[in-house]
Amino acid sequence: MEGATGVTASIEKSIAFVFAIVVGGTTSFQLAKDWKSTGLDNQVTKLLLGLMAFGCILVILAAVGVLGGV
Amino acid sequence: MAAASSFNATHEAITVRYNSVDHAYAEQRDIRLLGFVLFLISDVVIFSAFIFAYLYLRNSVPNWPPITKGGHQLPRFDVAYAAINSTILFGSGATMHSAMESWKRLDKPAFNLWLLATIVLGIAFLGGQGYEYHSAQVTWAGSTMGASFFTLTGLHGFHVFIGIIYLCVLYLQANRGVYTGSKYFGLTAGTLYWHFVDVIWVALFFLFYLW
Repeated sequence: MEGATGVTASIEKSIAFVFAIVVGGTTSFQLAKDWKSTGLDNQVTKLLLGLMAFGCILVILAAVGVLGGV
Repeated sequence: MAAASSFNATHEAITVRYNSVDHAYAEQRDIRLLGFVLFLISDVVIFSAFIFAYLYLRNSVPNWPPITKGGHQLPRFDVAYAAINSTILFGSGATMHSAMESWKRLDKPAFNLWLLATIVLGIAFLGGQGYEYHSAQVTWAGSTMGASFFTLTGLHGFHVFIGIIYLCVLYLQANRGVYTGSKYFGLTAGTLYWHFVDVIWVALFFLFYLW
């Protein structure tokens, strides 16, 4: 809950931002690498990887204060 | 000449048998894959039911977070902490994908490493979720906000818990020779399940922390 001090929240935001950049970059790279793969399992995997990359974008937007009012 | 003919006939018989076995496996694999994808879709329906219930409850009150009977407004959830926990779970999705790719390259040490990393990150996420439950200022019975939060994140956490057990079983099976370089449907299903769990969290993260 919103009991964290300003300093703690800033540190948490920074960590989340760095993690999201790393994970989002990795996920996007994996998605690009598998982009031309075919088959149901690969198509579902690509969809889910794309949504995960979207999740990382949400985390980045939250960390910089655009979303969530941090 | 006769020897060559006999060799060709044997070779052809082996080829036919080998291909027929592979075709049988491929057909069985496709059916199992379709069944697993349908299972994931049914799980989406379960989560959707709870999410729409949450949306209904949220729109049935004038203020969100809701105001208690005592007259004070409940605080929002800690976005910064949840953001870190979210990246841990998303990171586990990336390591799971790497594990699957390692298996396809027949790189078993890398597969083991990535799969164990996925399990550790999954446990870390559950630990983070447990800490958030412990420090939460809402209760299950205290408000619709708390009830929705604990129900949906609890259902998701249960899926993560089952996923961790699933991954542990896959680790044991893979190291006992259950899967080969061409037959590894269990690993594919495990990867899809883990990605699915990650993606459900994207929706929950947005609904409870960002919106």
